[in-house]
Amino acid sequence: MRKKLCVLTLLGSLGFAVGCGSSGSTPSGIPGGGGSTANVLSIAVDGGPTASAIYPNGAFATVTICAPGSSSNCAKVDHLLVDTGSVGVRVLQSAVSSLNLPAVNANNGSAAWECVSFVDGSLLWGPVQAATVTMAGETASNVPIQVVASSSSNLPPSCSGVDENTVALLGANGILGVGLEPVDCPACDPSQTSTPIAPAYYSCSSLPCTSQFMNDSNQVTNPVVAFATDNNGVIVELPAVSSSAATVTGSLVFGIGTESNNQLPSSANFFNTCGDLFNTIFKGETFGVNPTSCTGPGSFIDSGSNALFFPNVSNAITVCPTNTPVGDLSAFYCPASAQSLSATNQDPINPSFESTVNFTVGNAQNLFTGASTASNAAFGTLAGPVPAASGFDWGLPFFYGRNVYTGIDLPNVQTPFWAYY
Amino acid sequence: MKALFKRSIPFTSWLMVGIGWLGLSCPALAALGGDLTSVDADRAHLKASSLEVRPAEAYEVHPIQAPGGTIISEYVSSTGRVFAVSWHGPFIPEMQQILGSYFQQYSAALGAKRPYGRRPLNIQEPGLVVQTGGHMGAYFGRAYLPEMLPPSLKADEIK
Repeated sequence: MRKKLCVLTLLGSLGFAVGCGSSGSTPSGIPGGGGSTANVLSIAVDGGPTASAIYPNGAFATVTICAPGSSSNCAKVDHLLVDTGSVGVRVLQSAVSSLNLPAVNANNGSAAWECVSFVDGSLLWGPVQAATVTMAGETASNVPIQVVASSSSNLPPSCSGVDENTVALLGANGILGVGLEPVDCPACDPSQTSTPIAPAYYSCSSLPCTSQFMNDSNQVTNPVVAFATDNNGVIVELPAVSSSAATVTGSLVFGIGTESNNQLPSSANFFNTCGDLFNTIFKGETFGVNPTSCTGPGSFIDSGSNALFFPNVSNAITVCPTNTPVGDLSAFYCPASAQSLSATNQDPINPSFESTVNFTVGNAQNLFTGASTASNAAFGTLAGPVPAASGFDWGLPFFYGRNVYTGIDLPNVQTPFWAYY
Repeated sequence: MKALFKRSIPFTSWLMVGIGWLGLSCPALAALGGDLTSVDADRAHLKASSLEVRPAEAYEVHPIQAPGGTIISEYVSSTGRVFAVSWHGPFIPEMQQILGSYFQQYSAALGAKRPYGRRPLNIQEPGLVVQTGGHMGAYFGRAYLPEMLPPSLKADEIK
């Protein structure tokens, strides 16, 4: 599957490279726009929905979720985390329980459940149900979403971690996954695997729940691809945040090159991806994807990561302590003074295209506890360490002061890409 | 004014994980901290296939590939103990299987109070390190027992 993606990407890059040079091309072959001006959804980095605790660097949006075919059996759900690093709408059961959404079946014919595990050791577990999701003036009709069950009583052993099934645990009412792929588990389709994959889709008609195949068409879906128009990608637009700010607001713009307000300027930095990854060169080391196999380690852009996470080359930056007044901060950097750094992003398919990014690493503990910053929600200099083998994660601080394009992998139409300026 | 952290994971959440752990239908021989047979136990439990063993000075790397493509590499010392496990690929492996008897320590560390946010793990516990990275579709992680690392192996070489 990965190999196939890479071949598609290669073909796409040839097309782009011939006409447009190494940077800033609007991909051709994008479905035309429909003249809509309602493709802009407001987003806010506002600390999240819980009264007791701030969610630092979480960009949130409000969407309307309806039973398929109904315009009245609906719930307006605020504070979904805008996540360009995952795919699909996931919403807490408590927010949509009154809608009685219909089940979506796994390939064995019984109601599908899904376990999605995240890099932080958490998971979301619950049934796959069909819903119509409206964001600004765009509607994704009858798409599979994940409803996060309020009980984890039937959690299968292969789905292990902290089930974040309440607002207090998740810090959000759900996740709005608008990443590079149209569905969330291409490898779960029976055309791609001879054995059902775990943790992914399950049947719970008898316990313990058992892993199942899941056709692409029934998988939890990137809602953007289900729009009638403006369905080939998104742009996240947020203002600059130099160190920290109480809150910031911005836009999630639907479609790329389909309307007057979502054009990709020729001056933008444009990156093909390989296995949905690209390369970042930092302190002389390349954290890059294998261009043949499209396997990692590789680097990526992800609005759902709440800091810049990158390898601590030569252990040059002090990591925060585990025992601070605001809890375990070992996921973040705490340099004695702010560090000005730079790294270079590189197109893995067309490596002659590179672009340098300057960024600053602040002291997370000082930001989270300082008298003037402790109640803030937006932190432009928040960063933390990862193992070298996991690459460079350009999280939400990267988005401050930029327009960041996520171009969705649409076979025969468009290969997945990132662009920004 | 909001505080900048969330509460610890409630005990009931961990009770649920604990129940899952006790209820594991195929009780695992420990992986991390276990002996060579635990590599085979993991392979069988995860329905994975073996890849070629990579010998190195003072240790061997036993990689297996799970359905879906994630490669799990178990690092086995010259005395036959698994002192490190790494994974990379589209899916995060079943942690209670690969961490074996260290799963409870890992779980307790996950429950520590920390700010909200999607982020990699950097657990540095006495005798246990767990670090992760990546995002949906491309994950990396490693767990190791720092006191058991051979002098010739740097932590960043566990990948």
